[in-house]
Amino acid sequence: MNSDELIATLSYDLRPVPRHALGRRLGLGAVLGGLVTLGLVADWLGIRPDIARAMHGATFWIKWAYTIGLAVCATAVTLRLARPDGTTGAWLRLMAVPVLGLAIVAVGELAMTPRGQWPALWLGHSWTICSRNVFVLSVPIFAGLLWSMRRLAPTRLALAGTTAGVAAGGWGATLYCLHCPETSALFVLTWYTLGMAGAALLGRLLGARLLRW
Amino acid sequence: MGLMRMRQGDDRLRALMLAGLAGDSVAHAALLRALLPPLRGFFRRRLGGRDDDVEDLVQETLIAVHQRRATYDPDRPLGAWVYAIARYKLIDRYRRSGRTTPLDDMAELADEFTFADASDARADVDRLLDTIPEKQASVLRATRIDGLSTAEAAQRLGIGESDVKVSAHRGLKALAARVKDGWR
Repeated sequence: MNSDELIATLSYDLRPVPRHALGRRLGLGAVLGGLVTLGLVADWLGIRPDIARAMHGATFWIKWAYTIGLAVCATAVTLRLARPDGTTGAWLRLMAVPVLGLAIVAVGELAMTPRGQWPALWLGHSWTICSRNVFVLSVPIFAGLLWSMRRLAPTRLALAGTTAGVAAGGWGATLYCLHCPETSALFVLTWYTLGMAGAALLGRLLGARLLRW
Repeated sequence: MGLMRMRQGDDRLRALMLAGLAGDSVAHAALLRALLPPLRGFFRRRLGGRDDDVEDLVQETLIAVHQRRATYDPDRPLGAWVYAIARYKLIDRYRRSGRTTPLDDMAELADEFTFADASDARADVDRLLDTIPEKQASVLRATRIDGLSTAEAAQRLGIGESDVKVSAHRGLKALAARVKDGWR
């Protein structure tokens, strides 16, 4: 086919593109994945029975501030990297804010806890499964983001895959908070972050392959 | 007109793009035609005389401009966006031609690999399912692999819905135990 014929074919029956189509596409992928994850939390892990009481305490919100903060930053970067001429802007560096914030809380916690109880603070009751759970819960959301991104036009594939992985990890961890009764900041900083790092690695590995267009 | 010069804010092309995004197919065709000369120049300079390759890449870029037009941010220059797509297509071409296998074989090879991976995984699942009681395995096949709902699976297997749920639960538990035990 010569290029003029191609242009005629492409222009035939042209459909309008709604404004914010890109954001909607990415949002749809994230929400669809998020619903699957929410189903997993409710069905497989179970919502913690004291959720209503927990939501009145500070710990729950500190955890959410951390996971939602990371998720929002990573989603914003991913949204920008979905454009061929997209740059990361300040969002990538802003991810340091929730990490540093939680680290400060963790240091305060350690200072107020007798040294003998530090291991309990760090390991909680569920350190052996926490990272794995966060990782597993991130997978549906990552799949949703990947589905969206494949229709968009990222040009820095490994980076876009990584930020999509962090976003999926952040949202997955946010939903995991509905199950996880752990209260220590040091615990969250270690094991949640490890799970999210796993999601980031998955995104990096798959991004370079699956985001090509 | 080169892509670089086009980048310095070509309001006419941007107007065509915006009209195209709104659904105006005449404007869309006019935009794609207007992109032909700068794209040919861009790829010709970088590929050096291989005209078939040049036209291939021009067409790939036009298709991408068309299919991925939702990724254009109307507040930013159109030229930068087109340039980014053209550049990506060029890099992608380099990346692919860097291999020793000719391009056409690559696609087939990739297909073969994914097919082999999928059938390997399928065989693994089958072998694993063979290690648990038959009823649990058939329930898991129906609900987890074929994607049936509980009700549909119950109907297909001729058992009660609660039986399906219990069997699926026990089956998954048994599988988890097999995997944990270092099943290969």
